[in-house]
Amino acid sequence: MSKLQLITKGIIKENPTFVLILGMCPTLGVTSSAINGMGMGVATMVVLIMSNMVISLIKGIVPDKVRIPAFIVVIASFVTIIEMLMKAYVPSLYASLGVFIPLIVVNCIILGRAEAFASKNGIFDSALDGIGIGLGFTLSLTAIGAVREMLGAGSIFGYTFAPDVMPLLFILAPGGFLVLGYLMVLFNKVAKR
Amino acid sequence: MKSSLLNMVLVLFGITAVAAFLVGLVNNVTKETIAQTEQRNKDLAKLEVLPEFEGDAEFEDKCCEIGDFKVNVTTVKAGDAVVGYAVEAPSITRGGYADRITLMVGFVEKDGATLINGIKVLKQSETPGLGANMTKEGNSLERSAVGKEPKSLKFAVSKEGGSFDALTGSTISSRAYANAVETAYAGYLWAKGELPSADVAKSGATKQEDTTSGATKCNNEESEAQKGEVKNE
Repeated sequence: MSKLQLITKGIIKENPTFVLILGMCPTLGVTSSAINGMGMGVATMVVLIMSNMVISLIKGIVPDKVRIPAFIVVIASFVTIIEMLMKAYVPSLYASLGVFIPLIVVNCIILGRAEAFASKNGIFDSALDGIGIGLGFTLSLTAIGAVREMLGAGSIFGYTFAPDVMPLLFILAPGGFLVLGYLMVLFNKVAKR
Repeated sequence: MKSSLLNMVLVLFGITAVAAFLVGLVNNVTKETIAQTEQRNKDLAKLEVLPEFEGDAEFEDKCCEIGDFKVNVTTVKAGDAVVGYAVEAPSITRGGYADRITLMVGFVEKDGATLINGIKVLKQSETPGLGANMTKEGNSLERSAVGKEPKSLKFAVSKEGGSFDALTGSTISSRAYANAVETAYAGYLWAKGELPSADVAKSGATKQEDTTSGATKCNNEESEAQKGEVKNE
């Protein structure tokens, strides 16, 4: 597999949201607007790249039976460190993303990639895999967020075009399920070609 | 790698030790900055809810604790003149959709009347796109209160006979907002000595069993010490 394919497969063939169906909890929770989805996606990508690299680095010394607790400790430490750094140096970003950061710890995409890829591949490939899957996750979340924001609030990335006339349902949880389901169908229909 | 008791214990211990060390290190480095940022945000919010003025601001905090809740009344002075009062108050009886919300409400005195000069949301975790719209400038809740005399306001949403126009689809969040403004007003009255501290709780209509004896603790003297100064930008 070429290096470029490592990245593109995360966006289309192994898209974490629409194909692997991983990380549904943050997906439904944060995508009430496009910018929220994008923020969560980028934060997850940063953690994913770093945790993939570290896990690929320590894979040789971690005994099989304790690999999952070891990976979880690595991921949780990264998330905590990122949360503290964000809070201290980019408080405006933290203000809008704060509640989502701890959710990254329990995001199964990260543990999933650690298990399925980083613990079997080299450090460079693992970083590329992190970039690919991270981009795929970010794009999917932004897409879902954009659709929900347009249908539910009549705005996109905060720019309002149709205030107060759109069905609020799409911003609430049931709308999240609807949009996710339809986008999943659409994505798989197009990607399978 | 094959697992044996020894290498499992060693590796897990090693990884957790390194992780704990790193987290502790970062915490140590960032602790100070985080506290500063939070204090700065609060100070800026105090200035934001009050009218603009020349010179340096001087803060004088007066704090009232009602059960677990803290109402902080800051008298903002420029030179000898009192610019206004910035009151930090939570919604006491009514939580929002997710959690209690905390507001910074600015009161000014003009020609013998008290006016609400500005409101800023300090803490909320309402639904983004719905209740969280209370943080947007010029939203319907803010418009219902800013520039009005709190005396004449009824602290409830309009469909319950109050004077607050609720946010679209967010009656619960709007009730919490109105309640926090009410608490802030009670706190302001208390700071002016027009309301005994116990009544701050009552005005927020909490179910404090015995507000007169110690359940309400007002620590004037203590907080007098924490005067702060910030530049007015």
